[in-house]
Amino acid sequence: MNIIATLGSASLIIAFSCTVFSLAASLIYFRTQINIFLSLARHSIIATAMLISFSLLVMAYALLSNDFSIAHVASVSSKNMEPWMKWASIYSGQSGSLLFWTWALSLFLAMFSLKTLPKIHWGAPHAIVVMALLLSAFLIPLIFFTSPFTVSTITPEDGRGLNPLLVDRGMLVHPPALLSGLVSTSIPFTLAMSALMSGRLDSSWIQHARSWALLSFLILSVGNFLGAWWAYTVLGWGGYWGWDPVENSAILPLLPIAAFLHSQTVQLRRGIFKGWNLSLVLAAFALAVFGTFNVRSGLVASVHSFAQSDIGPYFLGLLGVISFISIALLCLRWNSLKPDRDLDSLLSKETGLVLNTYILMAITLVILGGTLFPIFSELIQGVRITVGPPFFNETTGPLWIVLLIVMSIGIMLPWRKTTRNSILKRVSIPLIISITTAFFLFILGIRNYIVLLTLLSAEMVLLVTLREFFLGGKVQQSISDQPLFLSILKLFETNQHRYGGYLVHIGVALIAIAIISSYTFQAQTRQTMLPGESFNISGYQIKYEELFESKPGINGVSKEILAKVEIDGKRLIYPGQRLFTNFPNQPVAIVAIDGNPLRDVYVFLQGWTDEGMIELHVFVNPLIQLLWFGGIIYVVGAILAYTPSTRSQETVRHGKIDAR
Amino acid sequence: MHANLARNRLIHALIAICVFFLMQSTVFAQTTNNHEEQALSIEKQLLCPQCTNERLDICSIQICIDMRKEIREQLQNGRNSDEIIFYFQNRYGQRVLADLPRSGFNIVLFGWVLTSIALVTLGGGYTLFRLNQKTNIDRN
Repeated sequence: MNIIATLGSASLIIAFSCTVFSLAASLIYFRTQINIFLSLARHSIIATAMLISFSLLVMAYALLSNDFSIAHVASVSSKNMEPWMKWASIYSGQSGSLLFWTWALSLFLAMFSLKTLPKIHWGAPHAIVVMALLLSAFLIPLIFFTSPFTVSTITPEDGRGLNPLLVDRGMLVHPPALLSGLVSTSIPFTLAMSALMSGRLDSSWIQHARSWALLSFLILSVGNFLGAWWAYTVLGWGGYWGWDPVENSAILPLLPIAAFLHSQTVQLRRGIFKGWNLSLVLAAFALAVFGTFNVRSGLVASVHSFAQSDIGPYFLGLLGVISFISIALLCLRWNSLKPDRDLDSLLSKETGLVLNTYILMAITLVILGGTLFPIFSELIQGVRITVGPPFFNETTGPLWIVLLIVMSIGIMLPWRKTTRNSILKRVSIPLIISITTAFFLFILGIRNYIVLLTLLSAEMVLLVTLREFFLGGKVQQSISDQPLFLSILKLFETNQHRYGGYLVHIGVALIAIAIISSYTFQAQTRQTMLPGESFNISGYQIKYEELFESKPGINGVSKEILAKVEIDGKRLIYPGQRLFTNFPNQPVAIVAIDGNPLRDVYVFLQGWTDEGMIELHVFVNPLIQLLWFGGIIYVVGAILAYTPSTRSQETVRHGKIDAR
Repeated sequence: MHANLARNRLIHALIAICVFFLMQSTVFAQTTNNHEEQALSIEKQLLCPQCTNERLDICSIQICIDMRKEIREQLQNGRNSDEIIFYFQNRYGQRVLADLPRSGFNIVLFGWVLTSIALVTLGGGYTLFRLNQKTNIDRN
């Protein structure tokens, strides 16, 4: 008997028993209304999290102690792996990633039980029922179908090692961030379900769901950015987003969450769009479960296919149940979701915010359609049709532009109502500046109207958002009599949510500029070269000096083939390929980047011969670093929006709602 | 006099020959460059037949290396872009086309896109219009 495996399995089984007990206790509370049962149910959720955490620690121990009798350890780890890299072994492979998913879910639900549950007396038992059912739904496959603690009949001498694509430092943070982000959508979902089940359909659930949705938005965004960074620096194709089905699954829940964050302010202020807000968070969680199904179903081939297995149908069933219950509850409560009041005018911030959410949902539907179409075509026609990046670029591109335009106008609109003249007055200067810039770009030779429109609308967003900072700073300056710059910084103290959100908008505009510039003006070439030869691309001289190899001897790497490349006779870079002992047909690129804020010279070693001849694939990506810079601003903004400011904490303490 | 004339003619002939060869080499270089640009443009319109959503120009697996070689050979044999893309479509099926053709069963997907946008535009527009109309009725 393997004690480690038994401990891990036993803790999962006891965790499952705790969720069943929690479910039973909350159902008894419904009948008896005796508070002790509610307390027991709540504490059982926390106990479940502790037990799953223990099983994760057991798995970490098994990996660190090279216990290859456990099948998961043998399949994703090896003796020569560095200890810190074994963190990635936990969530690589099917059963490991499911263990991580369930662990993250249990932690979020435990935090919710500790922090929020005591504040929602109207829906606490309903929330516990939802949480217990969710935990059970993920513990069942972990215990009965794909246990990470399964013991092999034969214990190998050494493990197979980590999937080569995961042998990267970025992999220590990207999958955990993304999986946690997907899982975190379960909290707004639990709150929405509690509201629907209890019939408490006013704004009570939103007051709590907002901060959890912001957290979800933040983690999902970080996960997606890290994924883009990983793709750019590891996959060697000069880009960061390939509309891979699993990439799509990661961005899909983010869109309704972003939509909810805009739409919920309208409900808090005006008591309208109640059904829409509920639908958005229910859709976000359903899409997160869809992502889990998509990665594990084996139905889609992807660079993320290391987690495939045959438990796809289970998740498909789970997705069906979640969607059915969500829709059924919404239909049952529809009559109670009537607006408290109507719009004062179509020319108002309310309209801008809601239009924003409509566009985000249209983008969600289009991406979902494109992601599902290959499976659908195979089911109907028996032929799998590939939906390539051009489809997604062409169909979502115009929608992103409309979104940017609505963002820029929406920021300028006041709540309740305004006049056309007032809008024109506010819009005129940013619009004139943006059109002038677009005109100059046209004269400079940019004739692609999509590029011009994107740059124009992104510049509009930048200008109107900076204007808001300037105007807010001016008001602050008149109160505090400080310099303008300090007054603008002070805005984050007085209204962190609002100005944090505006920073996110600035990040989005910068990202849009980076995407369209790097995509449209990218230069690339492929050259076969001998040592000493050189060529030019976009004004840069690329000279190949020599080919050499190194033998790191860790993390399953057998050797690294590296080319010494000189750029403009000054800077040296070393593109190469990493070869793995146990994965001879799966070399991984070592991408070399010579970067500055204006452009990246991105060099990938495509192939080589023993005689020293190499094939280099070189890209010049203009303004790509603006993407990462915009991403940092976006994330900082999201953190500021999430972190409650002193003022808003006081507002909550006094029982008021900070509706920003 | 005659010697000078002959020398001048020789110089002119040499210059003409040099210019001819220079022109020829320029034309050759242009053709080579054009072929390379054309090949890259074709690669961007094709996908790897074995991977998912990976363009031919950025894929590293053997089948893609062979396909890229074949594109250059076919360009040198005088085939144009459409013919080459059609050749690979016949060989591997529609899945190698990066740009999804707007025909046949694919119409379902483009229909989905249009329906999604129409649904959101009409549904959202109707909701906003109704909320606004009720306000106007109340005011009246």
